[in-house]
Amino acid sequence: MKILFYFIVIVLFFAANVCSEQPHAKITMVQAVMCESIENFQPINPGVIFSISSGEVFCFSNFDPVLEKTHVLHKWYKKDRLIFTMPLTLSPPKWSSFSRVQIRDADKGPWRVEIHNTNDILLQTLRFSITD
Amino acid sequence: MESLLYFFSGFRWQDILDILLNSYILFRLYILFRGTNVIRVLFAFCVLWAVSQIAAPLGLIITNWARQGVITIAALIIIIVFRNEISSVLQTKDLKSFLWGIPRFQSHTPLSIIIESVHELADKKIGALIVLPLKQGLDSVVQKGISIKGKLSQEMLVSVFWPDNPLHDGAAIIQGDWITSAGVILPLSKRTDLPSLFGTRHRAASGLTELTDAMVIVISEESGKISLFKKNKTYNIKSRSAMETLLKKHAGDDSVKKRFRRQTIELATAGLISLLCVTGVWLSFSKGIETLATHEVPVEFINPNQKMKIISSSASSVKLLISGARPLINSIKPKQINIKLNLAQAVIGVNKLSITKENILLPPGIQLKDINPSVLDITLDTLIEKQLPIQPNWSGKLPKGLVMKEAEAFPKTIRVTGGGMDLKNISTIFTEPILLDKLTESGTATIGLLLNPTSLRLKESTKIQIRYTISKKSTHKNKS
Repeated sequence: MKILFYFIVIVLFFAANVCSEQPHAKITMVQAVMCESIENFQPINPGVIFSISSGEVFCFSNFDPVLEKTHVLHKWYKKDRLIFTMPLTLSPPKWSSFSRVQIRDADKGPWRVEIHNTNDILLQTLRFSITD
Repeated sequence: MESLLYFFSGFRWQDILDILLNSYILFRLYILFRGTNVIRVLFAFCVLWAVSQIAAPLGLIITNWARQGVITIAALIIIIVFRNEISSVLQTKDLKSFLWGIPRFQSHTPLSIIIESVHELADKKIGALIVLPLKQGLDSVVQKGISIKGKLSQEMLVSVFWPDNPLHDGAAIIQGDWITSAGVILPLSKRTDLPSLFGTRHRAASGLTELTDAMVIVISEESGKISLFKKNKTYNIKSRSAMETLLKKHAGDDSVKKRFRRQTIELATAGLISLLCVTGVWLSFSKGIETLATHEVPVEFINPNQKMKIISSSASSVKLLISGARPLINSIKPKQINIKLNLAQAVIGVNKLSITKENILLPPGIQLKDINPSVLDITLDTLIEKQLPIQPNWSGKLPKGLVMKEAEAFPKTIRVTGGGMDLKNISTIFTEPILLDKLTESGTATIGLLLNPTSLRLKESTKIQIRYTISKKSTHKNKS
């Protein structure tokens, strides 16, 4: 009787856990960086400071596995002001995607990119600065 | 008639109280200081003021300058010269006589006792000096002797001047039917036309009567002759009746009823003059030349909700255009004008609050002409706390060939207090700018935080450490 009770508890626990994780479990983000450029689906010179002389900044995100086709959002903020949102489609079994901005003199200052999943749950925040 | 009506238009009950109160104070000052030289000096100052009013428009430079100098030191002069009178008035222990008592008439001096005493002293050739003051005080003129305050009697008066009595050399002062003091030193006359046979007593008697309205009786020790001094006149007394006539003339030969009536008229006149003076001053203040002035007054907020905080106001002070008589306008001090806005009904967010006359406190006699701005936008908010991440704010340029791989703040987050509306849109706290130009290798920077808006407050003031990792830029590009 006791064993049956424990069994039911464990089954319920896992069932609840699986149900709650179901939306997140569709994708797993393995890498997210800001970089100067992307070549061959790899970030070049990842960092937190980017000079306006480089002309553009990339936000690179890598997901493995991707269980089903879905999408993520890259939300670019300058200070606390949302500049733009880039939806990116992810396809199974794994996917790398990026968004980018062209930077000018007026863009100098602290920035951040928030990566959200399809349910708008924040997966990661990348903070960086655009400087001279 | 119309102009009279204009003068008294807008007359408030406070103005009547103001005038009556100050008239009474002026009247009391007259009562307390009458008979002393203070009144004469005050009259002199009034004349001085009148002169200044004429001298200024006429452009009399030196007169105006001298008047200013005298008025500047007037208070000092009054205190020094009249210290005795002022102290005797202030030291009175009888509050009633100080505040509302009116001495109607002095007690009747028994002249017969004085006459008999004087003749007894003269018969025995005992020198004597007897002072009968009238209205003017003697304190500032004589050197005080010994206070006696003895009931006047022939025996008492004779004994004061009896040879070998320690007090017999000075003068005795008789006020009413009391010998108030003896052994008093009188000022000596400097007149050169006095008879050569006059001794020190005569010169002292003449000296005092030159300065005051008192009468002084002198009995010569050598000849036993009686002399009466009044003002600049000397009377040699030959008979009791002659002396009685002079003393009655000095004391006032009126009946009690007549004297009472005369004093009533005097007091009524003084009261009326006080009332007229104060009314005149009031009219000059309230109905004088209208002057306009602008005062910038800070706004005070009352009854705020303790849970709310004023985040911003479209203006922290308001310009008030006011008018009134020039002396009143010139005498206004900043703390006399207040603007109080009630925040009891204010809500979170922007509140438009109108400033009306009811919100403004002005000194009496000042009118409000304009309020600018008359509406304030007050933003209220509730105070909340929020834990926010800290982000370094880099500036300048990293040396060529280097890349900053990581930068992390310690602590990573900080608790911030501020208005709910402000904090709603804030999700990051930034550091002060950190210069990149001289960074060549990994390290740590200690830096403060920039709070924007400035109404934000940190729970604890702390310096933030930024740990950063710098490496050389890869020259080849990754390929996969």
